[in-house]
Amino acid sequence: MTCEQLVRYLSEYIDRGLDERLRVEAEEHLATCENCSVVLDTTRWTITLFRESGQVEIPAGGRRRLMERLSAALRGPEPGTSKPM
Amino acid sequence: MDDAKREGQLLKAIRAGDRRALAAVFDRYADRLYRLAYGVLRDRAEAEDVVQESFLALIDRIDTFEGRSRVSTWLYRVAYNRSIDRVRERRRASPGVDDDAAVPMPRSLADWSKQPDEILVDREARDMLERAIGDLPERLRAVFVLRDVEGLSTAETADVLGITTAATKVRLHRARLQLRERLADYFGRTPTSGEDP
Repeated sequence: MTCEQLVRYLSEYIDRGLDERLRVEAEEHLATCENCSVVLDTTRWTITLFRESGQVEIPAGGRRRLMERLSAALRGPEPGTSKPM
Repeated sequence: MDDAKREGQLLKAIRAGDRRALAAVFDRYADRLYRLAYGVLRDRAEAEDVVQESFLALIDRIDTFEGRSRVSTWLYRVAYNRSIDRVRERRRASPGVDDDAAVPMPRSLADWSKQPDEILVDREARDMLERAIGDLPERLRAVFVLRDVEGLSTAETADVLGITTAATKVRLHRARLQLRERLADYFGRTPTSGEDP
């Protein structure tokens, strides 16, 4: 396997989606190619960093407001008001 | 009780006007939808609006919701479509992504993978991560958030976004490599604790 092919298959390799033949070829290449090993390690680290930093949540105030609006919508319109949406 | 059965009971209760059931569904999915919407829009207020619109759509259609897809998939799909609609409104036309374009070879070969975990509490580093993902095209961001942040499978992601699994894989690959390049530009210049003197 060449470096270009390794890069092409990199995500599938990380996701364990390669068939057995390609997986073995990728591992043989990685065992001898330092540059591709760096690309693999740094890509995995990229995923980890974004996964951990991406765990944002709705702020408490916004959550409360949202739930109030949704509860009101579930109850339906108050007499004399129009239907939500 | 399995998830599908529990989901069915919650939907039935919401149909009957049970606000606790609505709160249970909200607690289960609201943050996930928020992360997807924020992932696409990069605006917290707009992401909250999208969460609201998604749940209002569920309430609006609760009587006709047939359960052909999971509630989570359905809500994700609504949240994604609403988010992309907002992007289109911002730009009038959302730039397409050429899924068949060749993936560029990595430029930076510096090994910064031994960065300590504490990097995530560094404000400058977090700002850089924010800018890096913000600079990705929205459709790549959506795939990346669903697959790598939310942990959906390729098939689930494709189902939410209404694209093929092949296109999902290509977009994910492009997103990962583009983000890696951005991080390499930053960390590759920053001395690491594991470097030789």
